[in-house]
Amino acid sequence: MRLSRLPAAALVAVATVTFAQESPDQQARRLLEDGRTYWAQGKLKQALDNFNTIVAGFASTDSIGPALLEIGRYRLEVDGDAEKARASFEQVAKQYPQSDAAPGAYYNLGLLTLGRATTAAELEDALAQLTRVLRLYPKSDWVPKALYAQGLVHRKAGRYGEAVDVARRVFLEYPSSDAAAAAQYLVGHGLALLGEPLQAMEEFQQVRNRFPDGEWAARALEKTTALYRLHGYGKPTFTVDPAYNVGVGDLSKDVRAILMTAQGTLWIASEKTKSAVPLDPAGKPGPGVQGEEPRALSLDPRGQIVFAARTAVRIGLKDIRSFAIPSEKPVPEPLEKINAAAVTPGGSVLVADEKRNKVYRYNARFEFQGTFPDPRETKEREVTRLFVDGEGGIVMLDRGEKTVRVYDETGKTLRTVGPTGLRRPVDVAVDPFRNTYIADEELGVLIFTPQGQILHTLSGPELRRPKAIALDPAGAILVWDDKAEKVLKYR
Amino acid sequence: MKLRHPLLAALALSAVSSSAQETQAPAAPDPGAREVQVAQDQLARAIAEFEGANQSRSIVLFDDIIARLEGVQRQSGLPVRGRDILVQAYELRARAYFNLGLQEKASADFRQLVQIKPDYALSKDKVSPKVIDVFNLVKKSLVGYLAVSSKPEGAKVTLVSGGERKTELGLAPFFPLEVLAGDYTVEITKEGYKSETQAVSIAPRETKALEVELVRTLASAFFITEPPGVEVWIDGELRLTTAGSLAPDFFELARNKGLEPSRASARTEVTNLSLGSHIVELRRRCYETVRRTIPTPTPLDFEIDPIRMDDSQGSLRLTSDPPGGKIYLNGEAKGLTPAEVEGVCSGKIHLEVKHAAGKYIKDFTLAKDEALTLDCPIRPSLAFLGVVADTPAGERVLADADDKIRENLQKITSLNFVVPPRESVDRVLDADKVTRKGLVAGADPDVVRKVTAKLASALEVEGFLVAVLPEERLQHTAVLYLLAAGNAVAEPGEVTFGEAASYLRFISRVDFRATVYRPWSGLITADTLLHDGVPVLRTVPGSPAALAGIEPGEVVTGAEGKAIKATAALLALVEQKKPKDRLSFNVKGASGSRAAELTLAQTPQEIPLFEPTLLYNKVMMDLRRQIEGYPGTEQAAFAWLNLALCAMHFQDFATAHEHLTKAKAELPQRPGISQGTALYYMGVALDRLNYRPQAIEAFKAAAAFKDATLFNNDGPSVAPLATRRSAP
Repeated sequence: MRLSRLPAAALVAVATVTFAQESPDQQARRLLEDGRTYWAQGKLKQALDNFNTIVAGFASTDSIGPALLEIGRYRLEVDGDAEKARASFEQVAKQYPQSDAAPGAYYNLGLLTLGRATTAAELEDALAQLTRVLRLYPKSDWVPKALYAQGLVHRKAGRYGEAVDVARRVFLEYPSSDAAAAAQYLVGHGLALLGEPLQAMEEFQQVRNRFPDGEWAARALEKTTALYRLHGYGKPTFTVDPAYNVGVGDLSKDVRAILMTAQGTLWIASEKTKSAVPLDPAGKPGPGVQGEEPRALSLDPRGQIVFAARTAVRIGLKDIRSFAIPSEKPVPEPLEKINAAAVTPGGSVLVADEKRNKVYRYNARFEFQGTFPDPRETKEREVTRLFVDGEGGIVMLDRGEKTVRVYDETGKTLRTVGPTGLRRPVDVAVDPFRNTYIADEELGVLIFTPQGQILHTLSGPELRRPKAIALDPAGAILVWDDKAEKVLKYR
Repeated sequence: MKLRHPLLAALALSAVSSSAQETQAPAAPDPGAREVQVAQDQLARAIAEFEGANQSRSIVLFDDIIARLEGVQRQSGLPVRGRDILVQAYELRARAYFNLGLQEKASADFRQLVQIKPDYALSKDKVSPKVIDVFNLVKKSLVGYLAVSSKPEGAKVTLVSGGERKTELGLAPFFPLEVLAGDYTVEITKEGYKSETQAVSIAPRETKALEVELVRTLASAFFITEPPGVEVWIDGELRLTTAGSLAPDFFELARNKGLEPSRASARTEVTNLSLGSHIVELRRRCYETVRRTIPTPTPLDFEIDPIRMDDSQGSLRLTSDPPGGKIYLNGEAKGLTPAEVEGVCSGKIHLEVKHAAGKYIKDFTLAKDEALTLDCPIRPSLAFLGVVADTPAGERVLADADDKIRENLQKITSLNFVVPPRESVDRVLDADKVTRKGLVAGADPDVVRKVTAKLASALEVEGFLVAVLPEERLQHTAVLYLLAAGNAVAEPGEVTFGEAASYLRFISRVDFRATVYRPWSGLITADTLLHDGVPVLRTVPGSPAALAGIEPGEVVTGAEGKAIKATAALLALVEQKKPKDRLSFNVKGASGSRAAELTLAQTPQEIPLFEPTLLYNKVMMDLRRQIEGYPGTEQAAFAWLNLALCAMHFQDFATAHEHLTKAKAELPQRPGISQGTALYYMGVALDRLNYRPQAIEAFKAAAAFKDATLFNNDGPSVAPLATRRSAP
């Protein structure tokens, strides 16, 4: 008898009979496994239905904890609703601490806390959540993930040594875990941030040796290349790639900013086209975003483009925001000469205003918070570039002071480059290892270590008037030369 | 009680032995036996009266005895003991009568006596000559003599009277025997001959002599073998084993057949061979079996040609890893490996090579003159302790599950799978009040460690397996728990005990050998998008790459004649090789391209702390094999380190610390996995045991070893990790 030829009612009856023979625990387990299968197949709604069925009808079974965990995951990854996700995870942790899902709940709570953490106290909270996994569930499969996440906490806190230690435990003690590759990568990155480039390269190579097929292997290759360029044996050498030729026509006229994403997409903001246009790694242009008088480009924490134009900032492809500051007048005063904008890891929006020579901070609901870095500051800053680097540092190019400063979310200065060594800085980029690349109209491109020491200077006949700079994931330098009207690639 | 009368003494002894036998024999109510016993008891009293002052008083007692025993005689026949008592009663009553002057009555008693036992004689020492005379007179009137001789001699002679009563007289020939006068049939029988009967009539005082020639019906065969001790099997039945030494008469015969007479057996007869033809096999261990067919067409003696047995031996050349194993061939000790053992008897061989690290067991057949070379890898032994069930339903299928599990686990190749006697196991478990299930689930860890160590010593094994049938509706699952000796945590594997395929995964996990060494170059390279080849980041000091003069900053462009584009290709090339293999490289540096050659070494490899595919109990058994097999070597030191990591896997940091102490003492002080590595892990273990000050000391000591690494010789450096962890 082929089941597929039976009428639907009969099929339901068969299923019901089958189900009826199973205990509630077995039924719930089946729903859970089917739900996970749906998820893997991309049928997310069906997956959610299964999990909700467990919560509604099988709350007394062992599957309730895992079901709530999956619901939390759905809220986070599909809905993007961190608060609802948090509620699910907290329910698991508090009401089902003995379930298999409890360590997963603490892990996710730790990650959520890490994601929004901007202060030391919040980072310690995240660490505490993750430590619970290790302490309360030492044999759980979540332990290596929790260790890795602890590494991320330490890294965010600037404790690179601790990040390396704890991440190393993951691949030494749990070499087959899902987190092993990411952890080994984190070790490499941490060592690079600690100023140990040779050791970092070894660790990145270990990622490729041990996990050759994963996403981390390709990223490790880029990082090793970038490090070797700067710190390999012999002096750093950058040569122009003669074959590199992107952006033709109006796109390569009156370029105000360039930016490269981790995926290798190059954004070009052009006054001529009054837009910012993405070019894929093959150089093919994609749909751009419009903006009168483009000024600057940056990326928000989710990887979306932040396109600052004169009177507004576009965050992502759809969200356009204008900004105003409180004034003595009844209506707030709009910002009409925006130079640059950035979205911080904590969700704040920073806007550099040319008219008042100030940087203003707005919260996630775009409500005015004051000036940045000091909310009460009166000092004037001619900030023409504003973005967040890979370590969460807020990078500001003050053209007036010929200085690049990096701040943390609270406004504390982390490092400073210049004015010594700079003449007419026009743009800045920071690589994953916190080396600062400054395009100087007179001097070319200068590369500084995180400690502010000059590492290398790029100059040459082809580099006549650099105006914008970006870095590709493998550390090659892209420079928009205004005189040559082209993007030069130094590899 | 002093028994003065010899008759009484003899009777008493007989009674004691009889009574002893009776005590031992099942108590079957036998009236006859009871009467005999009563008679015996009475006899003792009667004899006492007989020897007393008033001898005549004994007659009444003898009357009673005689009456009893004759009653038994009439009903069921007297046993031998009863007859003896009756005979003695008659003698003593007769003497008593004689002493009273009642010679007629005495003679009557003597008559009765002789009829019972015609060859009876009164003791001249004890009895007066007059009585003896009377007795002899009576006897002469009743007894004749019969002599029988047979040809061949040795026939059994039986006297048959009245058609029923048979008396065995002995083997012919014999001197005339006293028999009651009368008519008899004499039966003469001998195996291998036709039985003869003859009627004979014997008058008092008459001597009858019979000479009987027997007709042979069966054949005999005579064997002489060199050497003696040869089993003679005829038609599948063992008939005898040759023995002794050859009489000189047969020396020449033996020599003619190529035997050395001094080493030959006596001429040995196999009798009673039926007429026809027989298959003969001559067998002796270490000699080639001889097969013959011998015809015995007629009932005669057949001389089989003397047979010289040929040696059937081979030799064995045995090696083992590790060496120094005790060799046992069919239970006999034969030295230590490596060894050449000559003169091994051919045939089935049970070989055991026993070592502290484990055993090697093999059953095989050695052919004649075969020189067999055997490598005997010592393997740990795994004792199957049995199956336990959680429920009555499980109990019902216990035997079936046990059979199936044993049958399937014989397929394990990396361990000797043994089934020890249940009593041996029970004895050890009972002493510490631990059950089989408790060993693998629930018992106190310290007790489990102690008991497994004891069991291992008692059974000469290194690990244990217990199968548990869990509670389920349809009983088909068994959970197999593997536990290494000295460990406290067993690891489970689930099978469907009736399905062979379900064992494959478990068996492959058991047979998996964790990598503890790999070939090593000490060359650390990286992939970049900047080079056509792989740049060298560093070479480990003292490594093959360093010794070959390869420098950091140079780029490896080729190896073994092939272009190298990525580090993975280089690693794969090294992995295919063995330590001491040579590898050639093309290397490009500041001064141009050049060739370089290095000789690979080997690097130890740490067991990962949590690797789900590993059965850590099995890994521990393998590691202990290395420690026992190669004590005091670097190999053993690395094994101690890995054993510590296994203990840490089970969160047993105290045991890990013990192992690390040994590892630290024996590990080398050189770049790579070394003493610094052990000290680092010692710090980790002490930390976990909450001995923080001691942990800090260990970390500080580890940090002093600048070139020590974790994981393997190319792994991360211990010093910075240890320095960070030594911060209070």
